[in-house]
Amino acid sequence: MLLDFDKLGAWKWALAGICALMTLFLLLPILFIVALSFGSSRWLIFPPPGWTLKWYEELFADPRWLGAALTSAKIGLIVTVLSVALGLLASMALVRGTFKGRAVLRAFFLTPMILPVIIVAVALYAAFLRMGLNGTLVGFVIAHLVVALPFSIVTISGALETFDPAIEDAAILCGASPWEARLRVTLPGISHGLFSAAIFSFLISWDEVVLAIFMASPSLQTLPVKVWTTLRQDLTPVIAAASTLLVALTVLLMIAAALIRKGKTR
Amino acid sequence: MRIFPIGRLRGTGIGFGLPAILLLLAFFVVPVALLLARSVTEPQLGWQNYAALLGSSTYAKVFFNTFFVAGVVTAITVLIAFPVAWALVIMPKGWSAVVFAVILLSMWTNLLARTYAWMVLLQQTGLINRMLMSTGLIDRPLQLTNNLVGVTIGMVYIMLPFMILPLMGVLKKIDPAILQAAALCGATKWQALRRVLLPLATPGIASGALMVFVMSLGYFVTPSLLGGASNMMLAELIAQQVQSLVNWGMGGAAAFVLLVVTLALYAVQLRFFDRGEAR
Repeated sequence: MLLDFDKLGAWKWALAGICALMTLFLLLPILFIVALSFGSSRWLIFPPPGWTLKWYEELFADPRWLGAALTSAKIGLIVTVLSVALGLLASMALVRGTFKGRAVLRAFFLTPMILPVIIVAVALYAAFLRMGLNGTLVGFVIAHLVVALPFSIVTISGALETFDPAIEDAAILCGASPWEARLRVTLPGISHGLFSAAIFSFLISWDEVVLAIFMASPSLQTLPVKVWTTLRQDLTPVIAAASTLLVALTVLLMIAAALIRKGKTR
Repeated sequence: MRIFPIGRLRGTGIGFGLPAILLLLAFFVVPVALLLARSVTEPQLGWQNYAALLGSSTYAKVFFNTFFVAGVVTAITVLIAFPVAWALVIMPKGWSAVVFAVILLSMWTNLLARTYAWMVLLQQTGLINRMLMSTGLIDRPLQLTNNLVGVTIGMVYIMLPFMILPLMGVLKKIDPAILQAAALCGATKWQALRRVLLPLATPGIASGALMVFVMSLGYFVTPSLLGGASNMMLAELIAQQVQSLVNWGMGGAAAFVLLVVTLALYAVQLRFFDRGEAR
């Protein structure tokens, strides 16, 4: 009765109503930013008196915004490659490993996911101060990698668990060396997991704020850091434009991830 | 089913995990341990940082803000998320897919972008205040940012997906036949909700609530942008001690308190609510 939508009677409409309100609540701020980024009012009036592209022009004309976006993209790509590579190796050890203590190792790999990012950020900030890595590309990459890697390991080991090891066995029986079997049979078999891990890793790095605030220097900052520092002075519509670009890339990558998942289940 | 000799050939050692292990040791475990060590060694050896942290009224206010906001956010989130998760589980597929897509979109939209939206929406001349004034509910704009009201709204917005998804998981597993049985035995809808559905969903509600509570305790960006300087929460205190005041001892002590509370609550969750998932 309570779990049958058609037999709920009046409750059905109450539930649907709450659901609709919540959907609007989640969606409106995002649409609102997109609308503001095209609005002509400096004072963020909604609905805007007219429409314009000037905030995007301002965004692209400013080398600091552009530089921050390029830095974000560069860090994101390096983090993606490293996160998938290390995640793949770690997943092989976790899923196919024959040593004891794999459950402990898995828990260890996932701890950066559960600790508040602020603790990791402050701890790395302290360590990097001594090592001279604050404000460097290497510092950013390491910091983002620490938080992206657990997601990569979860995704890839999930794919590896559902890949039947007997197929790898078959390849070895047919004369392939274990390495050949891994590279030419297992790897293509879990490619959907690798692509998902790549997308997640990039998104985590692309959107990372807290670590980036601590890693950044005046000369090297990512797009979210630039948004953060601008936000603290002024709520200018240029931030709406920058945010819209951040959202747009996220939506594109999410669609890609959904397509990969769909392709896998087919 | 394994063919004997190949299982041994294929088995991998811990060596494959070494790069990840070394990375996390060098740039996660050791830095966090060093930070915590500084809480009892700076400015001198001893517990003075903890004594100051627990003894002063300024810090007491920070702790109060942190736990109060996390508690209120958790309560509101549960109240909204339960009916939504329930609806999502039983709604016609097409509709639930749309709602689900919106939830994922909001989850993956940049945190700063979402917080910025609320800063603009909630400001004195913002849309929310103007709408309330045009309906005649209020005649002067409400103060909705730079206080805990703003933090709470922004945090509920961010935490909702994290509550809806686990609740959906629990509700999906409940067999509709149990509720039919309740109806056959003469239970009204309210009775079935209170005495069958809610008790069955309790483990999910509790573990979702615990997760949202823990995440809220350590949040940095949204509280510091929507809360303003006089409503500091724990994460911002840590950042401020370290970055502006260069007081590593105190920053480390505050970080240690946050870490212990976080791990303790996760331990509770593992112990009591996660048995089914852990397998």
